[in-house]
Amino acid sequence: MSEQTSKRAVDPISLTVIWNTLMSIAEELGTTLRSTAFSEGVREGDDFSTALFDRTGRLIAQGNFSPGHLGSMPACVRHVMAQFPADTLRPGDSILLNDSFMCSGHFPDCFQVMPVFEAGRLIGYVACSAHQVDMGGAAPGSQKVHGVTEAFQEGLRILPVRFVRGGDIDEDILRLVLGNVRVPDKVRGDLLAQHTANLSAASRLQQLFREHGLETLDRAYEIILDRSEIAMREALAAVPAGTYSFEDCMDDYGPDTGAIRIAVDITFDGHGAVELDFSRSSDAVPAAINSYINYTTAYAIFAIKVFCDAHQPQTAGNMRPITVTAREGSFFNPKFPAPSGGRAVLQVRIFDAINGAMAQALPQRTMGAFSHWSNPNIGGVDDRTGQPFVMYDLSLAGYGGRQGADGVEALSPVMNCSNIPVEVHETHNPIRVHCLELIPDTGGAGQWRGGCGLRKDIELLNSTAVLSHLGDRHRFQPYGLFGGGPGALGESLLNPDGNAQPLHSKGMYDIQKGDVLSFRLSGAGGYGAVENRDPAAIQADLADGYITEEGARRDYAWRPEPG
Amino acid sequence: MIRVAFDIGGTFTDFVLHNDGNGEGASRTHVLKIPSTPDDPGVAVMAGLQQLLARAGIGGDAIDGVLHATTVATNAVLERKGAATGLITTKGFRDVLIIGRQKRYETYDLYMAKPEPLVPRRHIVEVTERMDHDGAVVTPLDVGSIDQAIDTLRAAGAETIAVSLLHAYANPAHEQAIRARIKARFPALPVSLSSEISPKFREYERTNTAVANAYVKPIVERYMDRLEGALKQRGFTRTLMVMQSSGGLVTPAIAKNFPIRIIESGPAAGVLMGGIVGTAEGWEHVITFDMGGTTAKLGAVDGGSPAIMPTFEIGHVRYKKGSGLPINVPAVELLEIGAGGGSIARADRGMIAVGPESAGAEPGPVCYDQGGEHPTITDANLILGYIDPDWFNGGAMTLNREAAARAIMEHIGEPLGLGLGEAAWGIHLVATMNMENALRVVSVERGRDPRRHAMVAFGGAGPLHAARLARAIGIPRVIVPQGAGVGSAIGLLQAAPRIDVSITRVMLLDDNVGGAIAEIYGELETRARAELDQMATGSAPLWSRQGYMRYAGQGFEVQVEMPNGPIGANFGAAAKAAFNQAYLQKHKFLDPEARIEAVDWSLAATLPQAQGDADMRLPQTAGRAPHGRAVWFPEMGGYTDTRIIERQILGEGETIHGPAIVEDPDSTAVILPGDVGRLSGNGHLIIDIAEETAP
Repeated sequence: MSEQTSKRAVDPISLTVIWNTLMSIAEELGTTLRSTAFSEGVREGDDFSTALFDRTGRLIAQGNFSPGHLGSMPACVRHVMAQFPADTLRPGDSILLNDSFMCSGHFPDCFQVMPVFEAGRLIGYVACSAHQVDMGGAAPGSQKVHGVTEAFQEGLRILPVRFVRGGDIDEDILRLVLGNVRVPDKVRGDLLAQHTANLSAASRLQQLFREHGLETLDRAYEIILDRSEIAMREALAAVPAGTYSFEDCMDDYGPDTGAIRIAVDITFDGHGAVELDFSRSSDAVPAAINSYINYTTAYAIFAIKVFCDAHQPQTAGNMRPITVTAREGSFFNPKFPAPSGGRAVLQVRIFDAINGAMAQALPQRTMGAFSHWSNPNIGGVDDRTGQPFVMYDLSLAGYGGRQGADGVEALSPVMNCSNIPVEVHETHNPIRVHCLELIPDTGGAGQWRGGCGLRKDIELLNSTAVLSHLGDRHRFQPYGLFGGGPGALGESLLNPDGNAQPLHSKGMYDIQKGDVLSFRLSGAGGYGAVENRDPAAIQADLADGYITEEGARRDYAWRPEPG
Repeated sequence: MIRVAFDIGGTFTDFVLHNDGNGEGASRTHVLKIPSTPDDPGVAVMAGLQQLLARAGIGGDAIDGVLHATTVATNAVLERKGAATGLITTKGFRDVLIIGRQKRYETYDLYMAKPEPLVPRRHIVEVTERMDHDGAVVTPLDVGSIDQAIDTLRAAGAETIAVSLLHAYANPAHEQAIRARIKARFPALPVSLSSEISPKFREYERTNTAVANAYVKPIVERYMDRLEGALKQRGFTRTLMVMQSSGGLVTPAIAKNFPIRIIESGPAAGVLMGGIVGTAEGWEHVITFDMGGTTAKLGAVDGGSPAIMPTFEIGHVRYKKGSGLPINVPAVELLEIGAGGGSIARADRGMIAVGPESAGAEPGPVCYDQGGEHPTITDANLILGYIDPDWFNGGAMTLNREAAARAIMEHIGEPLGLGLGEAAWGIHLVATMNMENALRVVSVERGRDPRRHAMVAFGGAGPLHAARLARAIGIPRVIVPQGAGVGSAIGLLQAAPRIDVSITRVMLLDDNVGGAIAEIYGELETRARAELDQMATGSAPLWSRQGYMRYAGQGFEVQVEMPNGPIGANFGAAAKAAFNQAYLQKHKFLDPEARIEAVDWSLAATLPQAQGDADMRLPQTAGRAPHGRAVWFPEMGGYTDTRIIERQILGEGETIHGPAIVEDPDSTAVILPGDVGRLSGNGHLIIDIAEETAP
């Protein structure tokens, strides 16, 4: 076959060099973005992503950053290309967009897609996304869940616009954007950082094309896509054929609302393809927590990769054998203008649901459900400076137990974020953190214990502020597997040491100076029956304080050694 | 002036003795390499020194300086064999060390483990106290809670204590009070304060640095005391100086107090040597490649100076950023991977995998005949003909080729259906590819164009793998320095005493900051002088200042070289200009509207030292005549009759066309087909690398 002959024409060394270089460009794009970005979420939380596309919009390489943005990127680039056909783009142009449906499902994630030209020809696109600290709308951080009933209340919606034209940033567009956000300095800084990072990646991509030539790269791209597809198909074919289903519930979508059913049916055909269908889940809800199909797809692909193909670099090729569907109008495929600002809380639950189903197919690979995480935003006007502030926080706790190991304590679940150091938060925001500690006895009991929940208490030092809370697992515990117990429920309290009042996991609250917010994440699920736990592991947990004697008696029927 | 340097590595201990002839006689350099004695490193040191003194025909009292690099601190951390450590921290923050920064170093791997903290949770206790970020006391220190904390840790058997309180970088008073209390009750218990070890913000990184210091302190103390004692006994009267990770020397007293500063001791000396050799050969941009028995280390020299980072990680997993423990003290920029001569090869799912497990010095590679059973890179190199079994380490050791062949066939050849030569080549190739990935990070990913760099290759196995590595990434020249097998030890001879101090003071660079900056540098200078005084070398220090700055609101800083000289009222403007220059160079972009914020400040004091004459040429001795042996070159179709030349008999300027092997007593350089080697006037072997041609 002539196609195969031409594919072979890329020698293994050039192919290695090209693939490594593409991945290193995508990685370096992220390194540049992180080191120049302003928002805490980007610089400390790695809440951004980077990718390279060929000139037909196929994903060729990505950086090792947030999977939610990454999985949404191919769709985002498709929308950009539909709005701006190749013949309308010029060297030095760059497109900005943040639409929930087109991008990664909420407005704070701004995408910039830059066409790259070499010798007068379009050779591909470089793209990056960054979670902006604010995009306007009903609440600081633009992630208010309860009371937001349509996307138009969530802030500024940007359909694809030519943000940079022939190398010059369109100051009119920039002014329009900055006029709609609470912290224009930071948003400006991050938009510029995104542009700068894209520029550096574009120049490396041009260099790669100069060194190897368009033809060689075209051939290399085909090989890269084919090899990643074959690797994924082989991995999927190894999973026993069948349909595996699982159901769980989100707590609700705001005070006085009902639970949201999360249901998934996963069908492996035994020949290297898989379909994930979320149609049996609830309908879209009138609160800003719906999961647009790009977002659903992103995390479904992520989960399949984790179970089947973790170490293959992600390309359009290994996404080919994976089909993700959800009934239109359902929670996992809402129609615009469904609100979605707080959808980040879902990523763990999409993974948990798939994990629950996969437990039937690949018991050795699955784990108890994660501790949930929380993403509260505290915002107001800083008394000291008269300037607005937004404290964007990430609280991350444990993993579920899995075959052969207890759940890892306090590691970023699913999305891959760093926490923000307490000393950094306190330096920049009028708050004081009273504690940041693991909560004993919260990890699901089992042969392999789930990780503990995490408590973080934050005192407001400013005269007033608004808390826009975002958490879950306050009503439905993280499940255990194969006889392992569930993790303890999470809870959120106002002023835990005095007249404690419960805070709803998706509520908005006005808070005053001296108020203490106590966020307590759920524990993660256990794996395997408690009776099979090694007594030495129970003893070690006692010594380290992961469980108390009381908890050990209750969960493990532990008794102290006589004498 | 006669000085001696020794570098203890995982596998070998290297020695150099240099006598500059005091302006009278000719300068003489002696080198020596003997197996390390991991159980008691001093045993090898004493044995080696004795041999060297005998060779030079002098006694210990004739030595003017003893310089030392050691992995004792590194190994304690890597192998988790440090002392039982207790950590005292602020109430509410017991889990800072357990929580870490929480990011997975592999996004798609949910099965990974976090690096194991050096202190188990049971040995972390809290005291009641709190500072804010300005250093104001929010909650006074409760003395009762200190006593309780100490009692708990003593009962748990803690032999060393780290104290890391929130915002201690802004105000160390509470940490100091805790130390005073501990010392009052247990004077001998070592205490490490985060505010002294690394007074920088970001609590996890600072705490881990203080804990690592505490963790290795008793071990380094014991080690230094024994070494100093043994040296004195042998008649060495001059002060021992120890290499720090930053490439500067300190006294044992300072090293014992801040052992975390000597973690990258040997590698730093190696990079220093690479810079000096590169400069001598006209290359100011150098990649250093040091491959020893256990690991390979890549470093960089930019514009003649070793690249220094304000922070590094120890104990990486698969050399992934974020997979190790962060250490917040300056260190030469290094990327280390588990690929050394002793790295073990195995068949894994139908492929060959090499390292990071190492046979180390004991039992060592199979061919050492010391009980090693698993084939290593050295075994493969022996089979491939790169190493002469009868001339290893200058003939001091005879290698067992048959045993190496048996092990390679048993563990690689037979399981994978490969012949002996192919299996050995597979091991060599996989090891080279592992190093190439690391080299790519150091060069291309960090903005270094390989074509503008020379590679200085050293360590016992560096010159053997260098040419292929350089060719793979487009480095045009490899320099194999004289004494390549003992490169770090040679670097030690050229180092100067140096003290680095730093602190976090978050400050906007407005117009009137000159006074505040002067105050910060005044404080840093006081701290530096206190340590310089301990070194008592008599020479006046050379100061250099760095600021770590960013646009206000960013989270990562760029390293800015600050102006020297007096700090006047308009110093702020000078600092801003320096920032703009550094930022532009790094990010190719400036934002004239953004405000500039300084975060960390550091000061380095170097004490220039009389080093005698820098002529390190080794004496020419009689060597064996050029001969031939079968050596594997895949581009020649396998085993090829290859010229073997001893470096000892190479004349200056004489060219050698590859394929060829140039043998030193302590290392072997491979010259690939198409490459050309020659000896420079400085005695270094220069190899011009042919560009890779498509197969």
